[in-house]
Amino acid sequence: MNTPRPQRIELECGPVSALDLALYAAASGDHNPLHLDADVAKAAGFERPVVHGMLTMAFCGRLLTSHFGVAALRSLSVRFLGAATRGDRVVLRGTLTSVDKEGVAIYELAGHNDAGQELVAGSARVSAPAHKTAP
Amino acid sequence: MIDSRHIGFATQPSTVAVDPWRVQLFCQAIGEPDPIYRDESAARDAGHPACLVPPTFLRAIEADHCSAAEILKILGIPVASVLHAEQSFEYHAPVHVGDRIEVTRTLIDSYDKRDGALTFIVLDSHFRREGDTVCESRQIIVVRNPKE
Repeated sequence: MNTPRPQRIELECGPVSALDLALYAAASGDHNPLHLDADVAKAAGFERPVVHGMLTMAFCGRLLTSHFGVAALRSLSVRFLGAATRGDRVVLRGTLTSVDKEGVAIYELAGHNDAGQELVAGSARVSAPAHKTAP
Repeated sequence: MIDSRHIGFATQPSTVAVDPWRVQLFCQAIGEPDPIYRDESAARDAGHPACLVPPTFLRAIEADHCSAAEILKILGIPVASVLHAEQSFEYHAPVHVGDRIEVTRTLIDSYDKRDGALTFIVLDSHFRREGDTVCESRQIIVVRNPKE
């Protein structure tokens, strides 16, 4: 049950293109022009269209599923601290904070863009990896 | 501050199908390369009965049911004045492509901060498959109120 877990996990995503934002708008149903229209973003005080917070959170999901598989994820929780904008790379890090008796690990999550601006902070619970039965 | 009569407001449950095409588009948008989300034989090889969905995909299902924008409209809050402050998911069972998911959303709380400059709205979503809870999620929205 006490499977060793990596102390730190990391994933770099992006740079987030205009196409990524358009695809995410279509896939998610969030068509807010702040993410798509440079003029709307400028009027709201951003130099470029804003990356959907949920796209940054989806990258957090990829950080975890790429290491542990989607079926092992018990919870995922983030606070949005800042907004990435079009063209940014998004770097996500997870740090192991504890593993309980059932083998459920807690990772603290942090994400920033390539300018070093904080984007998200959060945590995830990951259950012990399922042992694949031999075919 | 929102009118307190809205607290406890719940949407009528509706059922949304997890469409393979939608999951594929979602994976493309988030740069997810893993074939278990789109290739049924890859999913089976990994021990799953069907293709899975990425962890935050249920937000797309939720938007089909009733988006935050629609709820804000009911509350009379302009979408341009809000930010997504927090989001969490509790997973109880894996969701697969082809599943039919029943969704309800409830406005469970609202509170002000900074002398009313900010209003927080807490929305919970409940996702069920054939009566069993597969996921619960919480979205916290912050409204930047105009200065009076």
